[in-house]
Amino acid sequence: MTLVLPTAAPRRKANFTAYELTVFGVVVALFLLALIGPMIAPADIYTSNMLETLLPPSAEHWLGTDDQGRDIFWRLVAGSRLSLFATVLVVILYSIIGMIVATLATVGPRWVDELLMRITDIGLSLPGLVVSLGIATVLGPSLQSGIIALALTGWPMTARILRTTMRQTMEQPFVEGARILGVSRTRLMLKHVLPNSLDVLIVKWAGDISFTMLILAGLSFIGVGAQPPSPEWGAMISGARGYMSIAWWAVAAPGAAIVINAVAFALLADILQVRRDPSLQA
Amino acid sequence: MGVDTILTDGIVPAQVRRRPESLLQVDQLSIDIATRDANVRLVDNVSFGIGRGERVALVGESGSGKSVTAQALMRLNSRVKLSGRVQFDGTDLLSLSPRQMTAMRGQRMGMVFQDPMSSLDPLMTIGDQVAETLRIRGVSKREARQRALDVLDELKVERAAERLDSFPHEFSGGMRQRVVLAMALVGEPHLLIADEPTTALDVRVQERVLDLLDEISRRRSLAVLLITHDLGIVAGFADRVMVMYSGRIVEENEATLLFAEPQHPYTRGLLEAVPRADITVDRLRSISGAPPAPAARPSGCTFHPRCDHAMAVCTSVEPGETITPLGARVRCHLYGEG
Amino acid sequence: MLQIDHISKSFPAGRGQHTMVLDDIVLNVDEGQSVGLVGESGSGKSTIIRCALGLTRPDSGRVSYSGIDVHRSSRFDTLRFRRDVQLVFQDPYASLNPRMTVEELVSEGLLVHKLETTAAGRRARVVEMLAMVGLGEEALTRYPRSFSGGQRQRIAIARAVVIRPKLLICDEPVSALDVSVQAQVINLLQDMQKQLGLGILFVAHDLAVVRHLCTTVAVLERGRIVEHGTREQVFDTPQHAYTQALLKAVPIPDPAVGRARRAERQLAP
Ligand SMILES: Nc1ncnc2c1ncn2[C@@H]1O[C@H](COP(=O)(O)OP(=O)(O)OP(=O)(O)O)[C@@H](O)[C@H]1O
Ligand SMILES: Nc1ncnc2c1ncn2[C@@H]1O[C@H](COP(=O)(O)OP(=O)(O)OP(=O)(O)O)[C@@H](O)[C@H]1O
Ligand code: SF4
Ligand SMILES: [Mg+2]
Ligand SMILES: [Mg+2]
Repeated sequence: MTLVLPTAAPRRKANFTAYELTVFGVVVALFLLALIGPMIAPADIYTSNMLETLLPPSAEHWLGTDDQGRDIFWRLVAGSRLSLFATVLVVILYSIIGMIVATLATVGPRWVDELLMRITDIGLSLPGLVVSLGIATVLGPSLQSGIIALALTGWPMTARILRTTMRQTMEQPFVEGARILGVSRTRLMLKHVLPNSLDVLIVKWAGDISFTMLILAGLSFIGVGAQPPSPEWGAMISGARGYMSIAWWAVAAPGAAIVINAVAFALLADILQVRRDPSLQA
Repeated sequence: MGVDTILTDGIVPAQVRRRPESLLQVDQLSIDIATRDANVRLVDNVSFGIGRGERVALVGESGSGKSVTAQALMRLNSRVKLSGRVQFDGTDLLSLSPRQMTAMRGQRMGMVFQDPMSSLDPLMTIGDQVAETLRIRGVSKREARQRALDVLDELKVERAAERLDSFPHEFSGGMRQRVVLAMALVGEPHLLIADEPTTALDVRVQERVLDLLDEISRRRSLAVLLITHDLGIVAGFADRVMVMYSGRIVEENEATLLFAEPQHPYTRGLLEAVPRADITVDRLRSISGAPPAPAARPSGCTFHPRCDHAMAVCTSVEPGETITPLGARVRCHLYGEG
Repeated sequence: MLQIDHISKSFPAGRGQHTMVLDDIVLNVDEGQSVGLVGESGSGKSTIIRCALGLTRPDSGRVSYSGIDVHRSSRFDTLRFRRDVQLVFQDPYASLNPRMTVEELVSEGLLVHKLETTAAGRRARVVEMLAMVGLGEEALTRYPRSFSGGQRQRIAIARAVVIRPKLLICDEPVSALDVSVQAQVINLLQDMQKQLGLGILFVAHDLAVVRHLCTTVAVLERGRIVEHGTREQVFDTPQHAYTQALLKAVPIPDPAVGRARRAERQLAP
């Protein structure tokens, strides 16, 4: 018998390389930091201390201080919850929107599918950053506005990818089997099609976090997201750019924090991608 | 020719049976593969021989190790570790350099794979593909093309001359399989290894391909190792049959005898489990359970969890090889001398 | 019970042309009857099944089940049809949702058709059904991937039969299975048919399996039924040349038969 049976293979035991473990470790550490950061940061990072303004990095202030004399390192730690959680929230929100759109397009009659996919195409072709800038400005500059704006512009890619996958899943014999069994459309989607299609998003999520973190910081930097004195990282850069020429560290430190997070999640996305598709393995 | 076929297969006692001169001799061949977790033995201590012009069948279920064995004889799979000895026409294949082995494959051993479509290059014409083995050997373009044409004619591909320049997708499944056969036969090998050459084909096409193979092997005195899971196609084709179970050859005998007097409980079970189109039976005998995975082979006789005759000794001691009075080479404690 | 009444179907074949895949098919399955449909690859077997199940609409003709027109039925009738007619697929690896446990898979029909309203009741029926197909209670919480092909095919049969359908349609249910496991599944189908009075429409390219399982046999050649009769008629005294050719080509595990046939073919080209 010559059938090739991919699903028959015993589930591969998790057997991670040192590189993969390092990336997982860093991501977990970043999450932990976001969780406990605000609790361990000293209280004086929210108040000015005019005696210690714009100190360069030293043993006492590892990353120096800003124009209000606040310790930049501890502000980064405290702000990581805002930055990371806001990012995750954005991704969750637009993934939900994308899922709803994809599901409606898959179950609905032809015209619903056509309509939703045209809207998705329009969403994809608009410059996302510019539109979110507009939305955030209209809503009034704040972190919430930034989150809502990005959630409203981020979903089209998710919807498109998910709909393609759901279409493929619909063709699977087991879905046909469920229909023959008399399963209702809602149950068919929730129990059979969606769970077997979400795999593609897991890979996308890690990449999305990396990307969204940059955009969210960008919005704050431009001034329509979180506002100084919030320790959100984009806002910190925004607040420090006025005196960048005399205190480069006040801009470089939050910049580096954003880059570290973005790169860590991008690497995670890469690992997940390879793990899901063994043909990419070296 | 038909009469000759029938007469050569009378039952002859094992001692006086004449063996054709040996062409391939496999001794204690084991095949291991290193997976992420452990070293897995895919084929365990397999020994057999094939004589010149002899047609031998290797029968076994999915995953029993047939393809791995065939690839090992051709040294095609570089991921596995081979041990034991494989002698072909006086040459030890396992000690050849990769280059020598390539030459061996092109000229003296041919192989047909399980899936005809994946062994053909969709972008190359049929003629070029069949002639390729010869071209590599430095045969001139014109001669290679002529010989490709001859083989296709021999395989009864209609209007072969016109079709040399067509592409694989223009051929039906049966025709493609003939092209694949032509590729293996054009170098005039002494041994052809055919790994499930007809599994994907309908019965009538399958029959035609096997007839062709039968005819050519007689005419050229070509030895054939036919690999299949279908005992039915073996019955009309092979002189000798080997039954493989979970990486071991559990029974080997002349085809006539093996089908008339199967000795190993697995062989018997298989023969009884196959429904037949020529008689109606009330109920099929079935073998309980399923074949084990190579990494989870039971101890002792690997067939013991499914065997109706299993005894205490079967669970712990691996049966050695015994020759029964009927000439069967069997691995089963029922036949051990004790 | 199931009446396939003069259905035809063609598919577009590019350049505005159509290929006729089914041509005027007539086939009935009565209660408790086992009907075999044999044909080579591409002869249209799966297309007949899809039409019979209401998944593909034939160009002409009618498929009815107990008087319900399968392609023009009300919601209520459809639900009844879905409960009475079930399918077992060829490929046991693709026909079970990989993310559902055996319990969820087998009980889904009971849930959907509200045949058992309590979880405990459903579980009892599932356990009973699993015992019938030779699987233990420990299978309940496992996922399909941890089962072999033969076991999966039993799970698929359990899933289809647990709602006590009147007709079970099988599309080559054993052709992907190991030889030694194939007989287990054939026997199981035979038992189900006897014990539950199940009607079976069994589709296969393997004539031997059909001979074993079905009392009525139809032979399909390129979308047309060329021979239709009882098992004995079709297998022992085939009338149509195509049936004869097919039967002659089925491999028989008996060297004497095999060689005699080859000799015959070689003498008369
Ligand atoms: N590269 C590999 N890595 C791990 N296991 C392998 C590899 N190649 C083959 N195997 C295992 O070796 C065993 C024998 O495989 P093989 O392909 O020889 O089976 P077969 O008898 O040809 O079966 P089939 O009838 O399905 O072709 C199988 O259990 C298979 O899973
Ligand atoms: N949706 C479709 N569109 C176009 N052609 C189709 C479609 N479905 C089936 N066909 C064609 O109809 C013919 C019959 O197909 P079908 O799947 O019914 O054959 P089958 O007898 O089940 O074959 P097999 O034994 O290979 O499963 C084939 O030639 C196939 O290419
Ligand atoms: S050795 Fe024992 S278990 Fe194995 S086949 Fe023989 S009798 Fe059966
Ligand atoms: Mg193989
Ligand atoms: Mg089919």
